[in-house]
Amino acid sequence: MAQVAAPRRAREATPRTAVAVVAALVAVGLLLQLAEPQRVPWVQTFFLVFGSLLVQALPFVLVGALASALIEVLLPVGTLERLATLPKPLQLPAAALAGVAMPICECGSVPVARRLASKGLLPSAAVTFMLAAPVVNPVVTASTFVAYRGREAMWTMVAGRFLLGLVVAVTVGWVIGAVSRDGLMKPNPEDRHVHTVELGRPEPRWRRFFLHLGGDFLFMGRYLVLGATFAALVQTFLPASWISEVAAMPIVSIAAMMLLASLLSLCSESDAFIAASFVQFGSSAQLAFLVFGPMVDLKLATLYAGTFRPGFLRTVVLAAFGTTLVATMWLQVWIG
Amino acid sequence: MTDTVVTPSPVPAPAVLARPRRVSSSRLAGAAVLGAWAVLFWWLLLTGRQDFYLSTRTQWVVPVGATLLTMAALGRLATVRTREREPVRRRDAWAMAAVVAPVVLMMALPPATLGQYSAGKRSSFASVGVVTSASDIGSGDLTLVDVAAGQTTPEGEAALAARAGERVTFVGFVTRYDDTPADELFLTRYVVTCCVADATIAEVRVVNVTPGAFEPDDWVEVTGAIYPIGREVIVNAERVVGVDRPDRPYLTP
Repeated sequence: MAQVAAPRRAREATPRTAVAVVAALVAVGLLLQLAEPQRVPWVQTFFLVFGSLLVQALPFVLVGALASALIEVLLPVGTLERLATLPKPLQLPAAALAGVAMPICECGSVPVARRLASKGLLPSAAVTFMLAAPVVNPVVTASTFVAYRGREAMWTMVAGRFLLGLVVAVTVGWVIGAVSRDGLMKPNPEDRHVHTVELGRPEPRWRRFFLHLGGDFLFMGRYLVLGATFAALVQTFLPASWISEVAAMPIVSIAAMMLLASLLSLCSESDAFIAASFVQFGSSAQLAFLVFGPMVDLKLATLYAGTFRPGFLRTVVLAAFGTTLVATMWLQVWIG
Repeated sequence: MTDTVVTPSPVPAPAVLARPRRVSSSRLAGAAVLGAWAVLFWWLLLTGRQDFYLSTRTQWVVPVGATLLTMAALGRLATVRTREREPVRRRDAWAMAAVVAPVVLMMALPPATLGQYSAGKRSSFASVGVVTSASDIGSGDLTLVDVAAGQTTPEGEAALAARAGERVTFVGFVTRYDDTPADELFLTRYVVTCCVADATIAEVRVVNVTPGAFEPDDWVEVTGAIYPIGREVIVNAERVVGVDRPDRPYLTP
């Protein structure tokens, strides 16, 4: 028994780990004070862009986590299960629209979709909900509005993201079709968004609220820090000429922005600020970034792989990519 | 982090309930991360450093963020005692450190603004699509935003052209390109809509400058007559003096 438990314990942080973490952070602070790296222009630019992205986006992530925690604590899951009683042709659009009422991040929508499917909702409708919710929910809409406020394309981006998000989510659900739950989902996927409940009796509601709030923030926070790092590096080093060349190519610019969104793996509650910073790209390419990114990115790929059967990720990537590309190409003709 | 994962306990429920509540290291670490970010937001607010990251129109996120983060940190701290054993995995401890690292970074670095380095990588203000009305450009004191936005529409361009020869005073930093003559400089200012990540540039070409008097990234105040010529705006300098960086270094459209 001791031999089995030992490796598990070895992965746990010890007081020594805590000291090492604090020491590393202090060392970083001292190094920055002594070396004055900001004297190097590119370093200064990187730090400024990186810091500004985080300062701007983190409150929105927290608002999203707060709304998510409230829903988790207050809203019965059965509210959405009523969708199962609708006629099948209406289930996909209804599931997509239900996303409006669920201000949750893309990571949070995966276990919710699985739970809904396990309780009788058409699996394709559950997937539609999972893809739509991170794009069309009110927190995301509000952050998109703030990010584009003052620009000519503001309403195009806000309304376009909402409508195109619904269209792409419904299309992916339609492509998945009438597959059974067992045919779509793995039987016992690891659930990363189940929250702590004290064994024997549930924790009081207010304690669960704060646990959800902090847990969601911490989970999303590291991906946001990573995404802001990538985005700041891109903005610091990517030659303006390269961006201008890609941005000027009608279809390539859209595909490039979708690829970028997948690589950056940003939270949908803050990605609008980063999309808006790619001013070299037209509105349609930025829209593709905002719609495709919350549906398919690197961090979601791991969650999908743990939750769904092999082949699901490929289906979602191809269907979401194709639909977003075609739709935004049409928009590119109209709005640029 | 670890608190989002339930590990089935082999201990029967009654035995767990009999345990005393102890401090959960996972919850405590999470509260510390939230607290660190709350401190950063309060610090940005109290020191005015928010001006170096955000435009004036989005600075409301700082007090809102500070309040929410404080609330979240205190709330999590209140839940810190539990009967379950909730250790922090090493991997998660370092992930939390990575989330806190930007706090250290922003508080350790001295205040700085975007300078000449990124001017060449940024779009001009005119390409962003922010429009200032021709009536704003045609009357009152001309600002750098007016001048740059005047190039976005034919009406704005005409309104700007009508003010040729007027005396203007602009504050900005010095930018020089490879082909900039010694007796000229570009007076540049970043225009920020939301945060520095979306910064674009507004700049005018300043002629009749003493060669070698100013280096790139120096902040200067230029007074002189303005001459919009096509897509370029030239200021014939009467006076160029070095000034301190403004408290609010970025312009808001």
